[in-house]
Order: sequence, then C-alpha cells, then structure tokens
Amino acid sequence: MEHPPSLLAPQVHPPPGPSRIELALRTVLLFVLLFGFLVSIETMSKAIKALADTGMLGGGDENELFAGVGNPFAGLALGVLFTVLVQSSSTTTATIVAVVGSGALSVEHAVPMILGANIGTTVTNTIVSIGHIGRTSDFRRAFAAATVHDFFNLMAVAVMLPLELMTGFLSKTASYLASFLAGGSGSAYKSPVKKCIKLIHKEILSLLEAAGLDGKALGVAALVLGIALTFACLYFITRNMRRVIAGRIEAAMNKALGASGFVPLFIGIGLTIAVQSSSITTSLLVPVCAAGVMSLGRAFPIMLGANIGTTVTALLASMAQERPEALTIALVHLLFNSIGVAAVYPFPTLRRLPIRMARTLAILATRSRWWVVAYVFGTFVFLPLLGWFAWRGA
Amino acid sequence: MKKPSTAYDGGFDEIQRRFAQMLEDGRHIFDAAANALVGGTDPEVIRKDLFATDRRINSTEQEIRRMIVINGTVHGAQNFPSLLVTMSVAKDAERIGDYAKNIFDLAADRARLGKDEHPRLVSLKDRISKLLVRARYLYEQEDEQAARELLGECDKLEDECDEGMRRALAADHNASADALAYRYFKRVVSHTANVATALVMPLDMLDFFDEDDD
Repeated sequence: MEHPPSLLAPQVHPPPGPSRIELALRTVLLFVLLFGFLVSIETMSKAIKALADTGMLGGGDENELFAGVGNPFAGLALGVLFTVLVQSSSTTTATIVAVVGSGALSVEHAVPMILGANIGTTVTNTIVSIGHIGRTSDFRRAFAAATVHDFFNLMAVAVMLPLELMTGFLSKTASYLASFLAGGSGSAYKSPVKKCIKLIHKEILSLLEAAGLDGKALGVAALVLGIALTFACLYFITRNMRRVIAGRIEAAMNKALGASGFVPLFIGIGLTIAVQSSSITTSLLVPVCAAGVMSLGRAFPIMLGANIGTTVTALLASMAQERPEALTIALVHLLFNSIGVAAVYPFPTLRRLPIRMARTLAILATRSRWWVVAYVFGTFVFLPLLGWFAWRGA
Repeated sequence: MKKPSTAYDGGFDEIQRRFAQMLEDGRHIFDAAANALVGGTDPEVIRKDLFATDRRINSTEQEIRRMIVINGTVHGAQNFPSLLVTMSVAKDAERIGDYAKNIFDLAADRARLGKDEHPRLVSLKDRISKLLVRARYLYEQEDEQAARELLGECDKLEDECDEGMRRALAADHNASADALAYRYFKRVVSHTANVATALVMPLDMLDFFDEDDD
C-alpha cells in the first residue's frame, strides 16, 4: 500500500527547548528579576517606615497596625490567609521580612506569621490534587500526596509554636546567628548590593513624586508598588527558572524515583531553591503520585526539602534590609523548617505519622467529597478568617 | 537527521534511549527464540537468557511509562503527542518480546515444522531480524524515508506469513506448528511496523497503517 506523507512526523520528538542564546538571555533576566525583587523589598520596607513616621499606621507607635498579631494565633492565621490569597509563601515571607526590616513589626510577632506562611503554601497542591477527583484511585493518591505536606507543617507548627512562645528558642537562635553573620551584635547588616538598590529605590520615589504624589499618598503608592513588584518578580523568577531548568527538574524527579536516604530531601531543596517556589516542587509531585509512579513515602522527603529550599527567598529579601531583625526573621524561617525536618525525617515512626494521617484523610475523601470540602475550607478559609477577625478585633 | 542540541530535551532523549534498548532487546530475544525454533539451538541452553531479556523488556517499558508521566508533568502539554507515541510504540516493543516467548515455547515443546516450510521460515527469520535492527536505527534517526521503505517490506513479509499460514491450514497433514510459527512471525513484523508508523503516520493512525479502506 502507499503510505501518505507524514503529517505529524515531529511527534516522535518533542519541540526543542531553549537554545543556548535563550538560556544566556534567561540567565541575565534572572539576575535582573532578583535585583528587582530586592528593590521591591526595599520599596515596601521604606514605604511602611514612612507611613509609620506619618502616624498613618497608628499614632506614631510603629507596632500599632500590627497590634493584633500580638495574639500568636492571629499572626499564624494572617500568615495562612495572606499566603492562600497570593498563592505564594515566598511573597508572604518576603513581605514579612520587609515589614520587620522597616521596624513596624517585631521578630517576636512575625514568627507566627512566618509559620502560617508554611501552612498556607500547601493550598496550591491541594487544589492541584482536586483536579484528579474524577478517578477515585488517582484522587486518593493525589490527595494524600497533597495533604501529607499539610499534616507535616501543621504538626511542626503545633509543636514548635508553643515551644517558641514559651522559650523563644527560634527567635533567640536566629538572633544569635544574625548577629554572628552580620559581624557582631548591634552592627547594621550590610549587603554588597545595597548601594544599587538604594539608588533604584530613590529613582522610583522620584518617579512617584513626579506623578504628583507626596506624604501619605506617596507612602501608600510605594507600598502597593512594592508588594506588586515583589509578587511580579517572584512570579517571573519562577516562570523563567522553570523554563530554564525543566530538563534538570525532570532528571531530578527521575532520579528521586530510585533514590533513598537523604537524596530526595536534597533534591527537594535544590529544585525549590532553583525555581524559588515550594508550591511548584510539591505541585509537580501530585500528578506523579496520582499516577502511582511515585509512592507517598518517596515524595514526602522531597516535600520536606521544598520546605527548606523555600526559605532562601526570605534570606534573599533580608539582603536588601539594614536592620538585623530582617535577617533574624529570615533565619527563623530557615531554622523552623530545618529543625522540623531534622526532628522528623531521621525517625521512621515520626516520619510515618503525617503519611498515615494523609492516607487516612485521602481514604475518607474518596468515600465522601464532603471531607475534601471540610478540610480545605477548615484549614485554608475558616482558620485564617478566625485570625483575621482576631486581628480586626485587636 | 541530527536533532538540534539543547539543554532541555535530556529527559525525552533518555526515554528514547530506553526505547531503543527495548528494540535491541526485542531483536535479541527474537533471534534467540527463532534460532531455537528453526536453527537447531537447544531451547534449554537459551531459556535463562531469553526470560531474563523478556523481564528486562518489561521493566524497561515500566520505566518508560514512569518517565513519560514525569516528562508530561514537568513540561506540560507541549510534549503530549510525543509522549503518547512513545507510550504506544513501547507497547509494541514489549509485544515483540511476548511473541518471541511464544516462538520459544513452540521450540521448547519440540514443535515439528514441515520440511517445505522450514527453509521459508529460516529466510523469514533472517529478514525479520534485520527488520528489527533497522527499526531501531530509523527510530533513533527519525528517518521518515527509511520508515516508509521498512513499512513496504513489512507489508510483503506479512503477506508471506499469511500465505504460509494458508498453506499450513490447507495442508493434508498436521501443520499446526507451521501455522503458529507464521502467525507469531507475522505479529513480530506487525509490531515492528507499528514502530515505523510513528514516524510517518498521524497520531490517530498509529497501528492502523495496513488497514484496507474496504
């Protein structure tokens, strides 16, 4: 028989990825975006400071706006709420670093918010898992993969937040480390890129002033611009890096299928640092687990690694800040996640606990979809709203 | 036809490499089994190697499936057609192993081939073996022209197998071994052809290249 000309011959091989030139351009873009991110943190921080100075945040007391977060539950819930709304714990932690760096929020009050960001970030992969709801067995695996991260983070917060409130072990250790890293207690933390950041920040303010803004309006505009710029820079860093290292992500995930011990943990750390988003790392695992290609036990350490990897964003944000407290709160994030992993991962009994909880919830969720509704609503809507009302009440 | 070098397609290249290994193992297992049937090799001598090769083919197919899920998850819809094609042809490569085992079973059961059919089956075996080598090569090279030529030869080989089967079925003596041998050889040819169709046929027409319009 005669065979027709090929219509889809290229289907054998997928479309090529970025060329060397594109890779070079994307690398340059990454540095531009990272710089933009630091500028955005500076803009946000200075705007909050300026608004506090004008008394807009509450009668000259810099902490008045955040008085409600003196209630740790409110702080925790606000961290969850903000992260759920922006779908990015990196944006939340970077914003908290900027607020702490401005002096408007103390480290003590910021700690629960940072911990809340950890819980809020898991909403993304829970949403991804709901996409598998059409096939029961796939959904059971996907939902377990999504919620194992939640359970671990909830457990970590349940144990470490009361300990922190009683002893201040996280903030004290972070403060010690920050003073050590900053070159001595009391000295201002200096980063090498600060001069450039300040220069660009001044230009931004000049542009806003040229647009006729001054006083409180200037502060509000700079704050909104800072938050928007932070979100945009992190979004495009993630998109850019996902394109650049897609092949490496794939190779790492293939490697993780057969890896054991601490290798998956380091894969999680590496991937998350590279894409600057723990949600990307964990959301990629959900479909792979749903298909049954990766077991929950193997995906779990990658998620734990993502928890540690995502702390790099706050550390980066602290580079733009002068106050050592900014570095301190970023280190609190790192310590919280590192201690959480160190306390759970090496011990099989503890390690299996969130896995069992996630599997149990997934089984219940496959029996009745109301469990999904109750869980998502309770964890990501009801809990944060309670905190919101506590904050408003204060 | 050299593919452009990028820093991106390493994952799919690895899938392709595993698939090429499946085809190589398919050729090996077919040669071993067909030699036991028509070449006089003692089946017991090759049994262990043959079953180990079949297990390797099966586990490679499973690896490919896992890698396909990961590739699709990471790269999204842009690789979708390529992944579906690979899923389909990997199944064909796995089936080649299965039919080789059927051929081996015939040999192990001491099947008696007809004297007239034996030389024809030897000739078929040699040509199918070469076909499998070429299938791997053209798939790696994405050589459409070679794929069309291979499909033409597959048509002829399948016709020969059909003819052989008809002779065996019409024979006035028990020629069930001949019929089964032709049947299994034909299936190996068909699955090899399916691999080649991936290069020249649209996705929805994979496996249907030899279907007549009537």
